[in-house]
Amino acid sequence: MNIKKIKNIKVEEVVDILKSGGLVIMPTETLYGAFVDATNPRAVQKIIKYKNRPFGKPYSVAVENKKMAENYVELNETAKKLYRTFLPGPVTVVSKGLHKVAPGVESENGTLGIRIPNHKLVLSVINSLDKPITATSANASYQKRPYKISDILDNISNTQKSLIDLVVDAGELPNNEPSTVIDTTLDDPIILRQGDVKLKNKVEILSKSEENTKNIAKELWQKYEKYHGKRAIVFALVGPMGSGKTIFTKGLGLAMGVKDDIVSPTYNLEEDYDEGKLHHIDAWRMSSDSELTDLGFAQKISNKNVVAIEWADRVINEIRTYDEEAVIIWVKIRYAKRQNERWLSWGAT
Amino acid sequence: MAPNTQFKILSIDTSCDETAAAVTEGKKVLSNIIWSQASLHAKFGGVYPSLAKRMHKERIGWVIEKAIKNSKVKIKNIDSIAVTVGPGLAIALEVGIKKALEFAEAYNKPLIPINHVEGHILSVLAHSRNLKSQISNLKFPALAFVASGGTTQLILVYKIGDYKILAQTSDDSLGEALDKAARMLGLGYPGGAILEKMAKKGNSQTYPLPIPMLGQEDKFVFSYSGLKTAFYKLVEKEKPLNQEKIQNLAASFQDKAFKHAVRIIQKVFDEYPAKEFWFGGGVAANLELKKRLRFICKQKGMKMLIPYSKKLCTDNAAMIGISAYYRFKRKKFLTTRDFDKVDRIPRAKVDKKLPW
Repeated sequence: MNIKKIKNIKVEEVVDILKSGGLVIMPTETLYGAFVDATNPRAVQKIIKYKNRPFGKPYSVAVENKKMAENYVELNETAKKLYRTFLPGPVTVVSKGLHKVAPGVESENGTLGIRIPNHKLVLSVINSLDKPITATSANASYQKRPYKISDILDNISNTQKSLIDLVVDAGELPNNEPSTVIDTTLDDPIILRQGDVKLKNKVEILSKSEENTKNIAKELWQKYEKYHGKRAIVFALVGPMGSGKTIFTKGLGLAMGVKDDIVSPTYNLEEDYDEGKLHHIDAWRMSSDSELTDLGFAQKISNKNVVAIEWADRVINEIRTYDEEAVIIWVKIRYAKRQNERWLSWGAT
Repeated sequence: MAPNTQFKILSIDTSCDETAAAVTEGKKVLSNIIWSQASLHAKFGGVYPSLAKRMHKERIGWVIEKAIKNSKVKIKNIDSIAVTVGPGLAIALEVGIKKALEFAEAYNKPLIPINHVEGHILSVLAHSRNLKSQISNLKFPALAFVASGGTTQLILVYKIGDYKILAQTSDDSLGEALDKAARMLGLGYPGGAILEKMAKKGNSQTYPLPIPMLGQEDKFVFSYSGLKTAFYKLVEKEKPLNQEKIQNLAASFQDKAFKHAVRIIQKVFDEYPAKEFWFGGGVAANLELKKRLRFICKQKGMKMLIPYSKKLCTDNAAMIGISAYYRFKRKKFLTTRDFDKVDRIPRAKVDKKLPW
């Protein structure tokens, strides 16, 4: 592993390493990323090994411009609009892939996330390489977001270190959010991960009764059901005491056809209904994010489970760790004027 | 093996927050050790219990050792090991089960898996080392009310080991509702006990709060979420709080929460002619609710049984030992070759038989 200051780096040097199937860590406008040639199967195997995440988890790729993107994905109108508005910049647009990247890069459903980083070095490297490179954060899965080199190196094994060919050190990056990930392959674009770029997709609906709240939960389930079995779906519920988080979960259970009685999991911390069809967690009694970790949250995500978490704001960091992998819907409930009324809103923030 | 009434059982319960172990002899409690989050946290001013600490692993060994030591029974004289298999938190249950299996294997003792709620039901039958059992001639069916942080159920006891859940909560448990009300008043968590103290000095008629499920008692459902919501709004409106307000708010909340419970219990009495009333679980330590229930039992000419100590109300292992004693008598235990079948059942129901 070779660590070099960014000012001493020549574009050709990076390109040569990538061409020979090497792994390079470089800064972007968001985090440090780990890059390999996305069309080289051997290089992709390397990044999978480095990230230590199972085969089948897709990787976004970085391209130089929209023209290059069109060689690898099919851009629909929604996608084109997003490219025009946000790229280059901290947005990853998921489109239907053309299967021209190495196996393991596209998702199981053949979609591919594309990003055009707003970063001079990265863009020059892609231009010279003339191929897309994987654009994944440089941390190993489930580790700290990498804003400086030590964030990465302190949290990986020697085996992982041995896979890195070059580290481009640009010091500590401003703590920007990772890119916003938007899936355009569905009728409505859906935000898989919220970064600094925010779409105006926030809706707020007035629920006039518990029944209303349950129905809203049912509608939300129907909206996201298409991900069932493909990704974990997390309903992160936020709202004050007595606002109806358990009621919402009851509605969700109804929509999913859960037969077990749904009750408040405050005391037990977790209830699993119908042998794990729906996991119901309550973070009210949790004092740190690690308590959600202890409940096997990672396993639930990789099992592509459906999880409802009450008081999700108490364990926001742990939940956010998975926003690349899981569909996370933040549902906010607040009291309205009348006794039985509540405002419900949802989105990927 | 010892005669029936002298069966000595080492029991373990790690269903949620508490790490507990006990040694019982028949229905006699020889030792009952509880490593409690609540007492620890009281010292630090109502911090939330932490799951990391709830990891029972580090302290289970110590708790068992202490239970054996205090009981003055030698491990070789123990007849059987009992353990809670559910309901509860999976990762917590697991620790107790693993430890129980280790013990049972190492000392070649039979293992008795127990449902935690059955433990609460039968906790009323326990007696202390010094006193002889005052309970004789149990009359069935009995109606058991188990009210704690995790459970709020009315259970018909046809006979020991044969149960039917008649009513349960559709949202929060009674213990949880009391704890949350206390939290809203800034009394820390878990605060059910402090809420009771405050309520004693307050006037329960100061604030109007709804009695849950009023007029719908025949549905046999407990519900505390509506009352909790109304209370939240009331507390927000009354802020800033002072001592007097807190006392009156506590009294008003407790009054409605208990009225609801009592009304359901009365309704069940009307429909199921139970001969005795058994009251277990953490909320059974609440004097006000005990008073109200004793009153309706008296009206019906019914005997009311409650655990002989507060320690038997909250989660504990002695009650698991009592349940295990009855199972042991019915020859319901597992020997070494069946040990690998034993597993946690986080959503175990007391009226469903355990699979082994």
